[in-house]
Amino acid sequence: MAFREYKVGARMFGLAFGSSMFITLYMPAVDIASVSATTSAMERQLAFGRVGGFSYADPFLRGHGKPVTVDIVQDPKTGAAIEPTRAYVYTPEIPFPNGVRHPRILGELPSELSVSKGRMTDADEVQGAVFVVRETTREGISVPYIENVTATRGWTPEATLARADDKNRAFIGKGKIMFVREGCWWCHTLLPEQTQDWQYFGAPPMLGDFNGESPTAFGSDRKGPDLTHVGSRNSSREWMMLHFFNPRLVQPHSIMPRYDYMWGDVDADGRPIDYDAWRAAYDEYEAGNTIYPPEVPVPAVDSEARALIDFVINLK
Amino acid sequence: MFKYLFAKNEDIPAGSAAVFFGFSSIVWFVVGTAMGSFNAAKLAFPDFVTGSEILSFGHMRQVHVLAVILGWISMAFAMAMMYITPALGNTKLWSEKLGVWNCFLWNVGLSLGLFLLWLGVTSGREYSDLPWPIDIVVIIGLLVPLGINVWMTIKTRRVQGIYTTNWFFAAATFMVIIVFTVGNAPEFFQLTGLTEAYLTWWFAHNVLGLWITPVAAAIAYYVVPKVTGNPLYSHRIGHLHFWSVVVFYSTPAAHHLMSAPLPEWLKSFASVEGVLILVPAIAFVSNLLLTMTGKWRMFVENIEIKFTITGVMMAIPLNMQGGFQQTRAINWYVHGTGWMVAHAHLALLGFSTFLEAAAVYYGLQTLLRRKLYSLGLANFHFWMLLIGFTTYWVSMTIAGLIQGAGKIYAVPYIDVVIAEHPYMIARWVGGTMVFLGNCVWLYNMWMTARAGTVIPAGRLPHELAYER
Amino acid sequence: MAWKFDNPLGTLTTDDQNVSAKKLWNEETLGGITEDNKRLPQPVVALMVLTIITAFMITFPLWGKRPTAAIYAPYIEMMSSAEVQGKSDDEAMTYIVSQVKASGFEWQSELERHPLEMDDLRLIRDQLIKLKQQGVDLREYNVLGNQLVMANFEGNRRADGSVERFQPWWDKGYTIAGFFIIFFTIGVVIAIKRLPENEWQPTHGGH
Repeated sequence: MAFREYKVGARMFGLAFGSSMFITLYMPAVDIASVSATTSAMERQLAFGRVGGFSYADPFLRGHGKPVTVDIVQDPKTGAAIEPTRAYVYTPEIPFPNGVRHPRILGELPSELSVSKGRMTDADEVQGAVFVVRETTREGISVPYIENVTATRGWTPEATLARADDKNRAFIGKGKIMFVREGCWWCHTLLPEQTQDWQYFGAPPMLGDFNGESPTAFGSDRKGPDLTHVGSRNSSREWMMLHFFNPRLVQPHSIMPRYDYMWGDVDADGRPIDYDAWRAAYDEYEAGNTIYPPEVPVPAVDSEARALIDFVINLK
Repeated sequence: MFKYLFAKNEDIPAGSAAVFFGFSSIVWFVVGTAMGSFNAAKLAFPDFVTGSEILSFGHMRQVHVLAVILGWISMAFAMAMMYITPALGNTKLWSEKLGVWNCFLWNVGLSLGLFLLWLGVTSGREYSDLPWPIDIVVIIGLLVPLGINVWMTIKTRRVQGIYTTNWFFAAATFMVIIVFTVGNAPEFFQLTGLTEAYLTWWFAHNVLGLWITPVAAAIAYYVVPKVTGNPLYSHRIGHLHFWSVVVFYSTPAAHHLMSAPLPEWLKSFASVEGVLILVPAIAFVSNLLLTMTGKWRMFVENIEIKFTITGVMMAIPLNMQGGFQQTRAINWYVHGTGWMVAHAHLALLGFSTFLEAAAVYYGLQTLLRRKLYSLGLANFHFWMLLIGFTTYWVSMTIAGLIQGAGKIYAVPYIDVVIAEHPYMIARWVGGTMVFLGNCVWLYNMWMTARAGTVIPAGRLPHELAYER
Repeated sequence: MAWKFDNPLGTLTTDDQNVSAKKLWNEETLGGITEDNKRLPQPVVALMVLTIITAFMITFPLWGKRPTAAIYAPYIEMMSSAEVQGKSDDEAMTYIVSQVKASGFEWQSELERHPLEMDDLRLIRDQLIKLKQQGVDLREYNVLGNQLVMANFEGNRRADGSVERFQPWWDKGYTIAGFFIIFFTIGVVIAIKRLPENEWQPTHGGH
């Protein structure tokens, strides 16, 4: 282009910008789209539900419209004993995750199996459905798929929920919303480095571990430990409960904020929680005037704290 | 401002939009740094303001980030575009009314978005945290009108040439619209998995590389020749700078996810391109420092040049860090540590803030036709910013190296937290200095508008002597 | 696009284009700002070349390469050797490392970059032996934490049409970057050479 010749310049700009967009958007998108979902990806999205951030179903991120994860040992229809099974219960009107709505997200083979063998696409949001993750072997390789057990075995959402007592229910989907809303991921990454980091925080994620999940919330700024496998390192609900209520009860040097406000107004027994009294008692303890810190209330079943603990414990 | 929203375009005084944008940007800067200082206090003293959802760190961190990026930096950019673009075309802003509306929508839209974000209404994606309805407001209400005004002003210019600054303005406003639209596609279309993760960082990288860095540089291309009176050293280096930004800065997005399971070829490509961001940096720094030839005393005596050249010189460590920390060989050590936080602040609070501050100082004096109220207060602002930032940068860099060492020696994380604690306090002190400096700046600019000496017609602000 | 190729080191535009460019350059005042026609300073060109060379050197596969399963194969083999039995973990590891080093192992430098302990070796041992029995190329597997995982590289195609999963010398990313740099350099050189030659300096209308 000659001096002050902008027609050519504008075309060159289009060419340069367009080619970098082609390389950084189109080419990786083709590669990423060809990846098949792993078991972990299926478990994650079935537990989390559709979107983990802002959505129509849950505009203020209160954890509405999320599935319940249950561990059962009896067939919900017949009552016969079965292998311990983790089922994802979508009561009517709960939005299905993206892998169920658009099977191609799961990758070629898993989506084909989920549709043909698992009857995944027969599920209906209006009626609700129960899903489990299965594995089968194809040409010597283990392939995971999603089974719509409402269609294949007649497990209705109500019957399945009824087979699991409170201990065996986990509000993981609601907990993921809490994790996103409360900004846990501003300090705790969900992505161990591929080099040198795993001895402490466990294996980094594999290709295909995220198909269908949004947001991935990897985090970028670590001020506390990585949480990718925290449930494998520490699976004590009591420890988590104390730690969320006031991290300095269990770790005096922690700089994590207190999340006591997630307990809501009442504890698990329906007794009102007196935060002012608790804090006053804690200050006494911290000042060395009392030997024991005040009791931490057990969070109610429908509290946000319960859901967050369920989510964190299940990061395996 | 409100009376101009429904006035005829001809009745709005030239420069109104830029003045509104200028003062809005300073106010957002005060707000953004106040939140930064508050957040830093929480990291240093974890029980400081506790037990309240709305004042918790996780709710406020992203509000600080976006208040600074979309409020301070981007509004200062809009301010600079609205007075520099017409000045370089010997013309008026294409539509002053569109500019005033743009400023109004920007303040309203951003306040709404940040209010929702503060409540916890987030998309859960770093830097593109705003929920998608607000993203649409940002694109349609903020970025597109700004782009139209810039492009049409350049189109209706009364000179044949387009100066380097305007190349950058026109290209960057176009690119940021594309980046914002594509980068938020995961929310619009519910894209998931690695696509979502990659596009999150594609957005975060490109909003810096194709919006903040080139526009900040473009401001320096205007301020230095204008205030010193020297011609720009070389039109040719300007070409080198512009084309290398478009080609090299738009490509390394994947280097933010070197530890994620992305295709390896993409990481190789991104890390080569990532080192090549040194090419525009070399061109930019050399062109401007050579333009200063013979006028270096203004670096001491003139507040706009002091800010601009400090910002230009910060581009050197910024790009040396940025170029090399993203390679496979180094990234695993510093990734996700305080080093990155320091680097991000070097880009936004160091390099770009100093350049924008110069544009706002110079622009408000020119548009209001009033000489700066007090050089003393401006110098105080400069040193508070510089010392505060440096304290922050040094302390977070050290904290990051401690974290990196903790990674390889598999130190229990709590020991890293304990070791970092003094640096967290230093970061809070540095951030608070920046906040206090900005309060003084707001006062200084307000007094300039009220009580600054009127600049006679035909004179430029820097030709008058400072009075206080 | 009339190009003059007989004096490409001066300028690529024709004389009449240069005349009009010079006239425009001198007369125009872009809001009171003017530009000079200085050449790219040689240090800037040198720094640019240095940056491009550095960009490839520092991202070269040697640096920051993830450890592949292949580099630990000799360690795993020696784990079951008679000499190692009965030694403590640390002694055994020291012995294995020194033995492999003495044997002049091909990827010794990578081993030094990614040292392991006996416990780490135990985690990957069975997986590595299994892979070896399957007869796969161990270079295609990365050691990620406690797992051996197929790497995500795209290399040469084998005769049966499958793709090698280790980084080839012509890595797709580097190749694209190489083309990108070539196009950029040609484009910028043309843009600059289309200006009037740099011996001419504008007078900016006498300013």
